[in-house]
Amino acid sequence: MTAVNIDTAASTGKAKSSVYRRAHAADLSAVGEPFQWVLGGALAMGCVLIAGLLLLVFWNGLVTFWPKPIEVVRLTDGAMVAGEPFRTESFRVTADQLAKVPADKRAAIATDDGFADRTLYRTGNYDIYNDDFRWVPDYEVASVERPADMVYVERLEWGPLIGRIKSAIVNGTAVPADRLTPAGLAAAHDAARARWAQIQHIERDLIGDVNHTIEKARLRVRSVELSSGADSPAYRAAQQRFSDENVKLQERFQALTKQAQALRAEDAKDTVTFAEIGGKEKAVNLSAVVRFFQPNELSIFGKIGVYLGRWWEFLSTEPREANTEGGILPAIFGTVAMTLLLVIFVAPFGVITALYLREYAKQGRLVAVVRISVNNLAGVPSIVYGVFGLGFFAYIVGGSIDQVFFPERLPSPTFGTGGLFWAALTLALLTVPVVIVATEEALAAVPRSMREGSLACGASKWQTIRRIVLPRAMPGIMTGIILAMARGAGEVAPLMLVGVVKLAPELPIDGYFPYIHLERSFMHLGFHIYDVGFQSRNSEAGKPMVFVTTLLLILLIVVMNAAAIYIRNRLRRQFAGSQF
Amino acid sequence: MPQNAATAATQGASALVGKRDKTTKKSVIFADKAADWIITVGGLGVILAVFGIMIFLLQVVVPLFTGGSTIATVSGKAPDKPGTVVMDRVDEYRTLSVAVTTRGDLSAFHVPTGRAIEAPTFDFGGKTATAFARTIATGDIAFGFADGNVRFGKTGFEVKVIPLADVPAGAMVLDRNDRTDGRQIFTTLPGNQARQISISAAMAEPQEVSPGAAIVGIDYRVGGTVERPTRAFVTVDDKGIARLSLAETKVNLLTRKETTEITTSTLPALPAGVVVKAVLMTEKADQVYIAEKSGRVHRYDTRDMTAPKLAETVDLLPQGVELTVFSFLIGEQSLVVGTSDGSVDVYFRLQQAGARSTDGYTLVRAHRLEKQGAAIVAMDVSKRTKMFVTADAKGETWVRHSTTEQTLLRLRPPADFGAADYKAVAFAPRDDAVLAVAGGGRYVEWNVSIPHPETTWSSIFGRIWYEGYSGPEYTWQSSSGTDSFEPKFSLVPLIFGTLKSTFYALLMAVPLALAAAIFTSEFLHPTVRSVVKPAMEMMASLPSVVLGFIAALIVAPIVEQNITSVLLAFVFVPLALIVAAYSWQFMPQTQAIRLSGVPRFILMFVALAVGLWLASVLGGPLERLMFAGDFKAWVNRDRGSPVPFMTVILLPAAFLAASYALRRFGPGPRIDGMLRRASGSQAAALDGGRWLALIVAALILSYVVSSLLAGVGYDPRGGMIDTYVQRNTLVVGFAMGFAVIPIIYTIAEDALNSVPEHLRGASLACGATQWQTATRVILPTAASGVFAAVMIGMGRAVGETMIVVMAAGNTPILDMNIFNGLRALSANIAVELPEAVRDDSLYRMLFLAALTLFVITFVVNTAAEVIRQRFRKRAVSL
Repeated sequence: MTAVNIDTAASTGKAKSSVYRRAHAADLSAVGEPFQWVLGGALAMGCVLIAGLLLLVFWNGLVTFWPKPIEVVRLTDGAMVAGEPFRTESFRVTADQLAKVPADKRAAIATDDGFADRTLYRTGNYDIYNDDFRWVPDYEVASVERPADMVYVERLEWGPLIGRIKSAIVNGTAVPADRLTPAGLAAAHDAARARWAQIQHIERDLIGDVNHTIEKARLRVRSVELSSGADSPAYRAAQQRFSDENVKLQERFQALTKQAQALRAEDAKDTVTFAEIGGKEKAVNLSAVVRFFQPNELSIFGKIGVYLGRWWEFLSTEPREANTEGGILPAIFGTVAMTLLLVIFVAPFGVITALYLREYAKQGRLVAVVRISVNNLAGVPSIVYGVFGLGFFAYIVGGSIDQVFFPERLPSPTFGTGGLFWAALTLALLTVPVVIVATEEALAAVPRSMREGSLACGASKWQTIRRIVLPRAMPGIMTGIILAMARGAGEVAPLMLVGVVKLAPELPIDGYFPYIHLERSFMHLGFHIYDVGFQSRNSEAGKPMVFVTTLLLILLIVVMNAAAIYIRNRLRRQFAGSQF
Repeated sequence: MPQNAATAATQGASALVGKRDKTTKKSVIFADKAADWIITVGGLGVILAVFGIMIFLLQVVVPLFTGGSTIATVSGKAPDKPGTVVMDRVDEYRTLSVAVTTRGDLSAFHVPTGRAIEAPTFDFGGKTATAFARTIATGDIAFGFADGNVRFGKTGFEVKVIPLADVPAGAMVLDRNDRTDGRQIFTTLPGNQARQISISAAMAEPQEVSPGAAIVGIDYRVGGTVERPTRAFVTVDDKGIARLSLAETKVNLLTRKETTEITTSTLPALPAGVVVKAVLMTEKADQVYIAEKSGRVHRYDTRDMTAPKLAETVDLLPQGVELTVFSFLIGEQSLVVGTSDGSVDVYFRLQQAGARSTDGYTLVRAHRLEKQGAAIVAMDVSKRTKMFVTADAKGETWVRHSTTEQTLLRLRPPADFGAADYKAVAFAPRDDAVLAVAGGGRYVEWNVSIPHPETTWSSIFGRIWYEGYSGPEYTWQSSSGTDSFEPKFSLVPLIFGTLKSTFYALLMAVPLALAAAIFTSEFLHPTVRSVVKPAMEMMASLPSVVLGFIAALIVAPIVEQNITSVLLAFVFVPLALIVAAYSWQFMPQTQAIRLSGVPRFILMFVALAVGLWLASVLGGPLERLMFAGDFKAWVNRDRGSPVPFMTVILLPAAFLAASYALRRFGPGPRIDGMLRRASGSQAAALDGGRWLALIVAALILSYVVSSLLAGVGYDPRGGMIDTYVQRNTLVVGFAMGFAVIPIIYTIAEDALNSVPEHLRGASLACGATQWQTATRVILPTAASGVFAAVMIGMGRAVGETMIVVMAAGNTPILDMNIFNGLRALSANIAVELPEAVRDDSLYRMLFLAALTLFVITFVVNTAAEVIRQRFRKRAVSL
């Protein structure tokens, strides 16, 4: 390097005044401009990838619920297709497809290297055609229209329906033709939905209550049997009590069932018949229609209304149709509950460990080794923690808990299988190194002089830590905890082993004692993405939902990260001037 | 304690003097002590817990390698019945055993005590059977007689659970749990119940098969469905005539009438004078094996009942060795051959090109098991695994496993047992006991525990020859629908998958992340850096499930559609950047310095966009030029020549060669001199021109070399690049690369940044350019920190789960092909552990996979951490 420079200087000297100005400039190869551009290009590439990814997720996530127009396509062979245009791509036309294409269009395809464009239409009507989507190649299209009377129907079952309203029956009487629009049927629809909510209330809440009481009574009998034997008088008395109680409960059950049946009978009187584009008709109970509207006629406010309505439904209801429709409330709930539980475990343990390592342990070779190990545990694959959580927490610890506390429920496990509690504990183990490392760094950053000052004033070690060290270290600790939360909220692999399920029948919190059921399995946003994207009958139908879920998960994590950064900066500023 | 006393004393004193209390409050001392204690215990506890993980995983894994153990040995004497014992069976609960003799007697006894239990007998009319056959699992038996008749029957155990109260009052007590009324055994169960076990036996009337010729060999199978049962049997008589009969019973659904159709065909004749030792037939009656005493085996292809063929005749044994046992293992594919010299081999049928048989299969010896000390006299096979027991003439009974070739247990009778002249051995239905019957009704039973016979070090990490495979292979296939399935637990394909995905991910991530880190720390404008760095850091916590989903459902189809463009981007993007750089050199220096901050960085984005745009636009034309118009067909070797592709691949090497040649042999030094003398734009033109000339030269060189290589017959297709699958390693490499870029970037950037500022200053002050400072001062100083960054990134890539689960296709294969899928250790755990039964072999194998991952990442991370700490120390001391 030096040789080159001397050389440069020498050569400029030799070249005299004509190139005097070059004396300030370095040799081109020393500047390494092309290399710099390649390095810069790599950074630009990284930025583009990140921005692209976020943009992809945000765009897809945000537009999913926006009502799209319904196009009615007449094909060259006379068939009709109606649906939402989903996306367009170019594809290679295969030989036997090409054989059916008329000659003029074949020429167009030939000039395009054998490629043609095609559009994916979401045609809905899965119950009629066994498919939600249909590819329509451009060369098959004769005409495209957007008729105003096409209705988009979101149903409780079978996914969306696209067609025209043919007739409707409300309360057993046919609705006049002039009111056969979504707006005209709105009042009847609202009534039907209210009735449906009532049926749901009876069937799920009230009957569920009865079932819960019966199950609890049965467990009481079983526990008496286990404690005093099957031929003891205590057991017989319990058995007797149970059968008495059971009779009453069965009566209530019958009554409720009857009530629900009556409502259902009434419900069956309200139906709408739709005619889909192929001419087939389909009658749907009005109560089974979640939402229906005419997208081609919708004003911008109407569209916003549908958009917000769909968001609200997404955030506040339970999933249906194998998770590809409806909402994700249980998943949001599960993610948040698990993350909070995780903090409850991880914060004290992480901070205590860091305090021990930094303030109490003798700083020697052993502590250095332990510190390296703890650092590296952050790099141990999350799935390994999942395996440990399943094998140790769920099977061994949970199994023992079941033996001791819940023998009456065996052989069906209570704590002896994956659940919220074990998931949180597993993730706590996974994220505890993050908190330890962050806290240690924060503790190390507290100036020695402050500690010594405190001790010199006569404070005890704990007083010093509690009043002087910990408050100063708080920003770092908080950052560590929030980063641990962010990591924990985004982990999926270990959860697949310790208690996450695709559809949880009950939330971990409900109205039955002890109200918080930590042993229950739960749903999770991350697993929801995996499940809907990869395990559902039609990944194309689930894709929009996956994007929205992804958006939500990313937002959750970005908010937590941003909070960490914000808190760190704020508290850092607050303590910036407090050094001696 | 003394402290407290002192406190009390001072308190007393202070009260007298009336001074301010200077003592420490008890509550403060208590809190201090409590904190001391809690923090120490808690801290040590967390550390212990963290190390407990490894110990726990190890503890779950260890039983995989412990083989088997004998829990208890019981011996006794059962009633002796006339005739030779041909079979012995034990019930599922090891309570009752029954031995069958050639005279049709059943000798049943209570296993723990040897007490005789009444059992039915088969009435053979005083005749002695000359041949005997049985099925492995169901208890169907068949006898052949000297008069050419055969009789079919069934023995079994009838098991019922009854209330304890229903056990007859007078039942005789056998032992702690068992009682008997002479015909049945009652075992007391928890919950006031009892298990009642008795012997059931049935024998059909004789059927005449070979009039006037004694049956010397027979085999019998019951198959079909409940509605359409089929019974097939094959017999060999002493005239050497083998017959195959198939009886099919059909039930008319309307009339419920049963009709039985029997078809019999005669197999191609055996050579005269053979001594038939054993006859075997498969359940579908499509294969018949007739084994001679000399070890010669005749295999018949009987798929077509009406025209059976002799498929092949093979000699399995050397001269002078006699065949003593010959039996199928469960699944009826593997044949166990035991001999008079104690050797035990396992054979199976294998489809081979050029096989010397009529059906294209040959019998191959797949496993040679450890040789026993004396002639094998009896054997029994497991009803659920590929285990079997062999008993030899010296009284040793070995439990072996066919697939892994290991001897799990060597069982010897107790010292007081007497002569161990075993007549028959039985392997209990749950593989938890072995029972051997010796002469005079004496028997010995070993209660054994063999939880994981199918795993050994060599079966997990070595090649194993599985049934139906053409040779020993590394295979992972943990489960299947059938009972007779042979689990294949080789971790090698999974470890390979992990390494493969890690390799491609790092190939993608390391250059990008390091280049970006160097640029950020050395060349980037500080304001841009303060935005870029935190953004990248935040990306590190992006959930991998998101990346996996996008990779598998969005990126994979796009890459598949535009594979040529994607591959070309690797060429066009750097080219565009370099061309932009050479163009930038034309800019007057004052301008260049003024714009060298943010505007130059923006131009880099533009150059990148141009490169990407070129790749996408030229994808189609170049696909025609390079890949004969269809990449997927090209990569399958269906069409096109490898030359254009190789030309591109070899381009970087050719460029280096060309520039070396220019410097060493060409006018390189002269151009360098001219460059120094030239003014700004002239120098830029000269520099750019030189580069262009080099690229052209490199292209020509690369093309020539590729053509030569292709002429020699080398084709890159078939190794690293081969048949295209949608979810492939390239996509996984992209996604996982994306996941590790932020980590490598952040740590490497930190390392570069922590190089003391005075080094940088000194270098620049000496007149070095920024580029020279970066490459010759900063990078060497920070090298170990940068290396640690790569190691940590690697640790993350090794353990990444969701991306590989979603985007890798999950096929456990050993294939270097970048366009094929893979299955990684982590993905395998995530996919299979939720289905695994606790404590069975698969469960423990998955724990072993987890332990492997744990160890790999722990080693990699610890190495990285040690390097990083050393670097940190050095950086501080500089």
